[in-house]
Amino acid sequence: MKKRARLEIIRDILRTIQENKNSIRQTPLLRKSNISTSKFKEYFRELIEKGFVKEISGSSGERKIALTEKGFNFLERYKTIINFIEEFEL
Amino acid sequence: MPKPILFLLQGAGIELIYSFVIIMCSLMIYYSTREMYELSSYKGIKYFRQAFLLFAVAYFFKSFIKVLLVYFETSRIIDISPRFMGSATLFLFMFFGSLAVFYLVYSLMWKKWNGQSKTILAIFYVVSIIISFIIITTKQIEIFIGVSVFIFAVAIFGLYITHKQSHDKKKKSNITIIYTLLFIFWILNIIEVLIPIRQGFYQILLYLASLGVFLIILYKVLKKSGSD
Repeated sequence: MKKRARLEIIRDILRTIQENKNSIRQTPLLRKSNISTSKFKEYFRELIEKGFVKEISGSSGERKIALTEKGFNFLERYKTIINFIEEFEL
Repeated sequence: MPKPILFLLQGAGIELIYSFVIIMCSLMIYYSTREMYELSSYKGIKYFRQAFLLFAVAYFFKSFIKVLLVYFETSRIIDISPRFMGSATLFLFMFFGSLAVFYLVYSLMWKKWNGQSKTILAIFYVVSIIISFIIITTKQIEIFIGVSVFIFAVAIFGLYITHKQSHDKKKKSNITIIYTLLFIFWILNIIEVLIPIRQGFYQILLYLASLGVFLIILYKVLKKSGSD
């Protein structure tokens, strides 16, 4: 199986959140992301720091993760970014 | 005769317009890729953008400083010898231009050299300073050509390695040709600065060809970045 690139992993994490009505707990997100716990923590910290995701309170008070506007923007622009990288061999 | 007309007749106008278009193209490439870099933090995009920002700075020193100094007769305000200013601007043009070429090569090669980025970039800075220093202190044309061939060899090496590794060679050969042309025109631009061919047919031909390459890259960047 081909190893996923960094941007692809970020896209997959963000897409998982989006597909779960933009609200998911950290444990199922980790499971669905299909990466190790340490790697997930690394990516999750990066996503929080870059403002792609935010922590929200669910209906019963539990902590959930949701996409920010920047996160949605990344998903929209992902294909363009990949095409650009491929076109210029970067 | 008013000064601007005299200036245009002297051929400086053509050089000024040429540099202005190159600077504008380079800055447009830099700013149109900003959002993509901010979203992805992708190193290849970072070095690609920096290469064009450095090209803009290099061409600023190639023409604008020279024009500002001559046209506004800066020597009357600041007491700096024209010879010193000429050498200083040539040094800066060579430094930023060489660095731009190295950054462009690095944008293609960074994956292969990842983990050593600080060392590689430090080497590029040192080599650019050495090249610029050699250029301003030596008056021998053989050394100018030797330096040009060295920069060109580094650029072609980068392209060759990237091309060899690429999976879709047919699709990617297009951009390889454009990069090769860009490197060739950079070398010709250095030679044009060192051995000025004023108002000649070859100078205009060189300017048009260089502009063509920059405009093709700009067009591709705008098209692929979704900024068009």
